Amino acid sequence: MLFTSVFVAAISLALFWMAAFTLWWQMHAWRTPETLAATRFDPPDGGREGSFSLLLPARHEQAVLEHTVERLLQSSHTKFEIIVIVGHDDPETAEVAERAAARAPDRVRVVVDTHETKNKPKALNTALPHCAGDVVGVFDAEDQVHPELLTHVDHAFRSTGADVVQGGVQLINFHSSWYSLRNCLEYFFWFRSRLHLHAQKGFIPLGGNTVFVRTEVLRAAGGWDPDCLAEDCDLGVRLSSVGKKVVVAYDSDMVTREETPGSLMSLLKQRTRWNQGFLQVYRKKDWKQLPTSGQRMLARYTLMTPFLQAFTGLIIPLNAAIALFLDVPVAIAFITFLPLVTAMVTFVFEVVGLHDFGKQYGLRVRLTHYLKLIAGGPFYQVLLAGAAIRAVWREQRGRSDWELTSHVGAHLAPAAGGPGSSGGAGNDGDAGETGETGDTRGVRDIREDVHA
Amino acid sequence: MTSTLSAVTTDQKAVTAQPNDARNPAGTQQPDRRRLTVRPVVRFRSSRADLLLCGALLLAILLVQGWNIQHYPTLSDDEGTYLAQAWAVQEGKGLAHYTYWYDHPPLGWMQIAALTWLPSLFVPETMTVAPMRFAMLLVSAAAAVFLYVLARRLWLPRWAAGLAMVLFGLSPLSVVLQREIFLDNIAVMWLLLAFCLAASPHRDLWHHFAAGIAAAVGVLTKETMLVVLPALLVTMWRFSHRDTRKFALTGAVTACALIGLSYPLFALLKGELLPGGGHVSLWDGITYQMSRPGSGFVLDPGSGSYGVLQSWLYYDRVLPLGGLAGAVLLMVTLRWSVTARALAGPALAVVILTAVAMRPSGYLPAMYVIQGLPFLALVLAGGAASVTHAVLRRRRAARESRKLTAVRWTALAALAVTAAVYVAPRWYDGNRTALTADANAPYRAAASWMAERVPDPSRTRVLVDDALWLDLVHAGYEPGLGAIWFYKADLDPAVTRTMPGGWRDLDYVVASPTVRRDARDLPNVRAALDHSDAVAVFGEGEDRIEIRQIVGGGRSVGAERSVGAGPSVGVGRSVGAGPSVGGGR
Repeated sequence: MLFTSVFVAAISLALFWMAAFTLWWQMHAWRTPETLAATRFDPPDGGREGSFSLLLPARHEQAVLEHTVERLLQSSHTKFEIIVIVGHDDPETAEVAERAAARAPDRVRVVVDTHETKNKPKALNTALPHCAGDVVGVFDAEDQVHPELLTHVDHAFRSTGADVVQGGVQLINFHSSWYSLRNCLEYFFWFRSRLHLHAQKGFIPLGGNTVFVRTEVLRAAGGWDPDCLAEDCDLGVRLSSVGKKVVVAYDSDMVTREETPGSLMSLLKQRTRWNQGFLQVYRKKDWKQLPTSGQRMLARYTLMTPFLQAFTGLIIPLNAAIALFLDVPVAIAFITFLPLVTAMVTFVFEVVGLHDFGKQYGLRVRLTHYLKLIAGGPFYQVLLAGAAIRAVWREQRGRSDWELTSHVGAHLAPAAGGPGSSGGAGNDGDAGETGETGDTRGVRDIREDVHA
Repeated sequence: MTSTLSAVTTDQKAVTAQPNDARNPAGTQQPDRRRLTVRPVVRFRSSRADLLLCGALLLAILLVQGWNIQHYPTLSDDEGTYLAQAWAVQEGKGLAHYTYWYDHPPLGWMQIAALTWLPSLFVPETMTVAPMRFAMLLVSAAAAVFLYVLARRLWLPRWAAGLAMVLFGLSPLSVVLQREIFLDNIAVMWLLLAFCLAASPHRDLWHHFAAGIAAAVGVLTKETMLVVLPALLVTMWRFSHRDTRKFALTGAVTACALIGLSYPLFALLKGELLPGGGHVSLWDGITYQMSRPGSGFVLDPGSGSYGVLQSWLYYDRVLPLGGLAGAVLLMVTLRWSVTARALAGPALAVVILTAVAMRPSGYLPAMYVIQGLPFLALVLAGGAASVTHAVLRRRRAARESRKLTAVRWTALAALAVTAAVYVAPRWYDGNRTALTADANAPYRAAASWMAERVPDPSRTRVLVDDALWLDLVHAGYEPGLGAIWFYKADLDPAVTRTMPGGWRDLDYVVASPTVRRDARDLPNVRAALDHSDAVAVFGEGEDRIEIRQIVGGGRSVGAERSVGAGPSVGVGRSVGAGPSVGGGR
C-alpha cells in the first residue's frame, strides 16, 4: 500500500509540474499587458533598406501558385525578388511559374529542383545559391501574405538587429470539424504566445513559413538539413543554439493564414512526421551547445513534448481512477487530483483562447464550438498520443524517410511520381492521400510545415 | 542571444495625465495599442518612506495588540474550539478530537496548528488559549501590512494608507477582536492578500491566478468570506488591463473554484459528501449552518443582532459607522472621484457585508464584523483622502490667491483636529482597558484548581467549556471522554454512549458563563448542573466560574473541598448583560 501511495504520488507530482509548466509557457503572451503588446510588430518607421529573396517552393500547386505570386507582388516593400522552386517532374506548376516570371521579369525567377527524391529542405537548398537579397524568406505556395508584412519584417530586422524574424501563421477554419477547432487553437497558442517565450529564452523551433533569415547567416549555417523531417524546427534550433538572435512577431491582421489538414488521417500523419522530426532534432544534439542549463532543459522538454503529452493524456484518467477506486490515504488521493486540476485550468484557458481567437479574427464562435472544444479535448489527446507512439515506432524502425505516406502513395496519379518520390516540396505524403479527391482538396492539405 | 521585439515604450507623460486607464475612453487607445497607459506604480519595497511609515505603524499595532493579550478580552469558547482542534491536528488525531462534522472547513485550524506548532513542540503546556493568542499577532501583523500595501495599490496617498492601517490595527474594536484566535482573522489576512494581488501593478496573469488561490484559501479558512468575493472580482476588473483582462479574470475564477472544490472533494474521498446512516456529511454541515436560527433584525432593539451591534459600537463607533459613511460617500462620488473608483472593490465589500447583516432572518455572530474591518478602514481612509482632495483642490484656479489657499488649509486642519478630538479620548479609553484589564483571572484560577485539587485527573470526567478544555488536557484529563466539551454530552452520540447514567457518570462540571447559558438547551448538561454543588467559585456575578462536583452520582472519585469556596449561588441563565464579543459558535 505504501509503495502504491508513493508511486502514485510521485507520478502525479511529475505530471502536475509538467502540465503546469506547459500551461505557464502556453500563457506567456498574456502574462502582462506589456508582454502582450511586445508580441506585435513595431510600426515601421518608413526607412526601407533591406532587400528580400522570397522562396516559394511549389509542387503540384498550379491552382494556387499564380494567385500567391500575384499577392506577393502587391507587397508595399520595394526591394524583393520571388524565387519559385518547381520540380523537374512537375511541368504544370513549372508552366504557371514561368508565366508569372514572364509577367514580372525583374521580380520573379524560377529555379528547378532536379533531386530524384524531393522534399522541402532540398528544394530550399537548391534555391539558396540564387538568392540575391539580404534576407531570405520562406512561404508556401498557397500562403496569403499581407502586403504590409515585408515592410514590418524589414523594420523588425533593422530595429532589433535580429538574425531571424518569425512571423505568425494561423489556421483559420476552426468551424470545419472538431479536430480543426483544436488544431486552430494549437496554432493560436503556439504562434500567439509560446514562440515568443522561446524567442525570449533563446531556444526556438522555427515554423515552416513566414520565416525570414539573414542570407549570410543562413549560408553560414549550411542551409536546411535535407534529411530532417522537421527541417524548420531544426534550423531554428541550430541557429538559436549558436546564439543567433531570433525575433517573433504576431499581428492578427498580418499573419499568414492557412487551413487545417483535410482529414483526421492526414492530421495524424502530419503530426507523426513532426514528432519524428522533433525526435530527430533531439537526437542531433545541436541544442546541447546552448549556454545555460535552463535553456538546455527547455530544449530537452520542448523537443520531447509530443511524447510527454502522449504520456500525460493516458496517465491522467488512470490516476484519477486510482484516487477514486483504490483505497489510498486521503492525502495521496488529493495529490492524484493535481494533474487533473491543471488539465481543468488548461481547458478553461483554451475556452478563453477560443473567444480571443474569434475576436482577433472577427470570426463568430458559437456555443457549439466551445462545447466541441471541451468534448473534443480527450479525443484529441488520444490522437496526439497515437501520433507520438507512431513516431517513436517509425524512428525505432529507422524509417526516417520524408515521404511518410510512400506506401499509401502507390495509388497516386502517375504525374505525382512513383512510390518513393511522391512527397512534394512544401508537402509530404498528405497530398498523396488527398490526390484522389481533386486539386482543391489537395491544395488544402499541403500546408503543415509549421510546428504547433 | 534572442528576444522578442523590444519592450513597450512607456509614455511617461501618460503617467501624470491619465492615472486611471479606466477613465480613458477605449477609442483613444485604438490608433496605437502599444502605448499602454502606465499607472503610478508604488514600489513598496524600494520606497523608504513607505517602509518606514508602515514599519512604525506595525510596531505600534503589535505593541498595543500584544500587550496584555492573554488577559483581555475574556477567553471565548470559539477560541478554545479552534485551538483544541489545532491541537488535535498537531497530535495526529485527525481534524478534531471529536468526530469532525463539517461545521467549518478545516483549513483554518490547520493553519493555527502550523502557527503554534513550534512553541507547542518545545513547551507543550503553552498550547492553551491565553498563551497561544500570541500566535495571532503574526496574523494581525501580516494583515496590517497587506492592508497598507493594498491601500497604496489602490492609489491612496501615503498618509491615507497609514490612516487605514491605524484604523484597522488600533481601533479598540480591532484590538479586542484581532487578539482572539478566530478563524475570521486568518481568513481576512488571506482575503487582503488576494486583494493586493488583484490590484498588482504588474497586472501579471500569475498574480491574478494567485489572487484566486488566496481567496479560495480565505474561503476555506472561514466560509463566510464567500460574500466578499464579488468585491474582489470588481477590484481585479478595475486593475487589470483591457487586453489581458479576460485571461486574468477567468484564471482567477478558475483557480478559486478549483481550490474551493477541494473541500467537497475531500468529503467525497472520505465518503461523507452526502448524508447517510451512521456518518456525518458535508451536506448536513452546510444544512446546519444555513438553518441556524436567526438573531433578528439588526436595528430592532429587542433582537439578538441588535445586542451584537451594540457590543461592536461599545468598543468603537468610529470605524464601523465612519466606514459605512465612507462607503456611501465613495459610492455616491463614483462618477467624479478617481479615489472612489479605485476603492470600488472595498466599498462594495462594505455594502455587501452591511446588506447581509441587515437580513432580518439572518444569524449575526459577534465575529461577523471582523471580515468588514479592513474594508471599513480602507473606505474610511479613502473617504478622508477624497474629502482632503476636495478641500484642497476643488475649483482651484491655476493661480489661486495665497489667502484662499490658507483658507483651504485652515479648513482642512479644523476638520483633522475635530476628528482627532472626537476619536482620541474614546480610543484611549478602549485601548487602555485592553492594555491593563485582566478578564481571565477566574479562568486561570479554575484551571489551576482543576489541575491541583482533583486527586486523579486521568480517571475523572468533567464537563468543561472549550476555552478551558486544553488546560485540563495538559493537567492529565483524558481528552475527549475525560475532559468533555460540555455540549458533546448531549450532541455527540459517541460521547452520550459513554454516559448511560447521564449526569451520574460525571464527576465535575466547570460552569463558566457559556456553560450556564447553553445548558438551557442541553438536558444532560442541565441535569449535571442541577445535581452538583459548587465546590469553588472564581470571580463574581455573571462572569463567575464555578467548579461544581456531582452529588449522588455513582462515581467515587472525590476531591478535597475547597476551603474558601463560597456558598453555592443560583445558576445564572441570562446572557451576560455587558457587551460580550465572541462566542457565536
